Amino acid sequence: MLTKVQLHLAIVFLKIFLRDRQSIFFSLFFPIIFMTVFGFVDRSSVGTINIGIINESADSSAIEFIQELIDNPVFSVTVGLQDRLRPQLEKGEQTLVIIIPKEFDTTRKGTSLRVLVDAAQVRQLGLILPVLEQSLVEIEREFLDIEPMFNLIIEDVKARSQNYLDFLLPGLIAFTLMQLSIAGSGFNIVEFRRKGILKRLFVTPIEPRDFIASIVMARMTIVLVQLSVLITYAMLVLDVTFVGSLPSFYLIIVFGTFIFLCLGFCLGSIAKTQQAVMAIGNIVIFPQIFLSGVFYPIESMPEFIQPIAHVLPLSFISTGMREIAINGASLTDITPSLIGIAVWFVLSFVLATRLFVWKEVAS
Amino acid sequence: MMDYDLPKTSLMAIIEVQNLCKHYPTPGKKGETFAAVDDISLSIEKGEIFGILGPNGAGKTTTLEMLEGLTDIDSGSAMIDGIDVQSTPYKVKEIIGVQLQANEYFDNLSISELLILFGNLYGKKIDSENLLGKVNLIDKAKAKPDSLSGGQKQRFSIACALVNEPKVLFLDEPTTGLDPQAKRNLWDLVRNLNSDGMTIVLTTHNMHEAESLCQRIAIMDHGKIVAEDTPQNLILKHAPEAPVAPLHGNIEDVFLAITGRALRD
Repeated sequence: MLTKVQLHLAIVFLKIFLRDRQSIFFSLFFPIIFMTVFGFVDRSSVGTINIGIINESADSSAIEFIQELIDNPVFSVTVGLQDRLRPQLEKGEQTLVIIIPKEFDTTRKGTSLRVLVDAAQVRQLGLILPVLEQSLVEIEREFLDIEPMFNLIIEDVKARSQNYLDFLLPGLIAFTLMQLSIAGSGFNIVEFRRKGILKRLFVTPIEPRDFIASIVMARMTIVLVQLSVLITYAMLVLDVTFVGSLPSFYLIIVFGTFIFLCLGFCLGSIAKTQQAVMAIGNIVIFPQIFLSGVFYPIESMPEFIQPIAHVLPLSFISTGMREIAINGASLTDITPSLIGIAVWFVLSFVLATRLFVWKEVAS
Repeated sequence: MMDYDLPKTSLMAIIEVQNLCKHYPTPGKKGETFAAVDDISLSIEKGEIFGILGPNGAGKTTTLEMLEGLTDIDSGSAMIDGIDVQSTPYKVKEIIGVQLQANEYFDNLSISELLILFGNLYGKKIDSENLLGKVNLIDKAKAKPDSLSGGQKQRFSIACALVNEPKVLFLDEPTTGLDPQAKRNLWDLVRNLNSDGMTIVLTTHNMHEAESLCQRIAIMDHGKIVAEDTPQNLILKHAPEAPVAPLHGNIEDVFLAITGRALRD
């Protein structure tokens, strides 16, 4: 199957890529930055609400109340004095500041707690106040020794947390795969033609299939390594949950890479200049970024677009990957995606071999 | 006494071209074509340095590209060393070496790595040092093609064309843009290769080059060969006397006498 020439050429292409530090950096830079930013945004929003407490009471029930709030994962509590907490509230570092008055103890009734809020943060109040009240009620019950009539028991049926980043990772992997593959074949071919390299190769006895096979091999290796770096980073550093089978996930990566490499060959054969390949490339790439469920689910798009969105190659790939990554789907579970991938696989391969003709592509 | 088996000036043609034609669509006019190469026939002998001269657009490069298998032959035939170019282009590619006008290569590879790559494309393990020595680039082995001077680049291109020890070497305007030193250095290289028995076909705009380097010359214009002979004979025939001082004209006078003085683009 693989000839010596193909292997050697593939190694040469790999070598060329490895020496191009800049493009390695940038091809990893974007997805990593993207994931990291989303990772942090994600954590801080579901994360904590900063509240400040000014405790003027010496009673133990006040301490108990503060402890309740500290134990609540919704809040990040700072206990301090008014002259420190007030400016923090004004700067927006605290969402609200609670003042526990001197007379706060369990012997009296009708003690008021003052809550200082910044008007800009008011929309958070609806979320916070019930929690405050709940804490106070609990202290009251405890003191009066009353058993609550109703209890809420919360059970997580999915038994795992899932956030946007978990959703994003498979989409981002699919997107990066598309970019790397199309650039690897399409953009490179146009560049090689511009430099006259294709013509020069054409006067040697190598055949188009040698050239294509070696580019596919080299790019496949590059894509697999780069995506592995991203996946490792997401799982180890950003703590992204991946529940499915990695081999199945990689199987889709391999097929997806092949599809977009073939589409890249088509692009490189049609477009004669670097500008043209960029323009046509964007026609292929852009709709897929927005329509293929990379950043948000296809189901959230306007209904009339959905039928188109569903048949794009990147949709099948990102949907399949996502099912595996976040729902732990097996390959048989994602048969529809696999059929779509298979159809695009054949289609893009046939198209690429038809369009990539040495004589025309080289001159 | 085998001498007579190896005649010094062999009359064996290594390249045989008959009625070669190539038509291209006329730029700007739909449906019309023009003949880039118009029914040319050529016979180039083994061990010759053969020059093809002509104004821009005369069809020199197209002719070479048809011989190299780069461009389809519309009609006519071309044989190199008895192999038909049209029906078995891959066999021809094995025995020819080609230096194209564009001489850019892959980024990030040194010239010795590129030579090894080209060797591999022919399935040959090559001695890159030896080859670089031949073209006087040994001390540049680790350099990238981008960092070479014009003359070095051309010499490197020739080295690439030599990896398969070709029987015929095609050079497309090898000295265009070179300074006089680099030019003469390249001529020496071509002569050395030729003295080892290699047939060399080159195109050029440099009349002095054609006159001093080539054993025979074909002058092309408008896709046709308008004159073909040794430089000496061409001078005697077309420009026996220069208008002023020199005893006789040179190849440039021949060229202008045949192709006219009108400016080409």
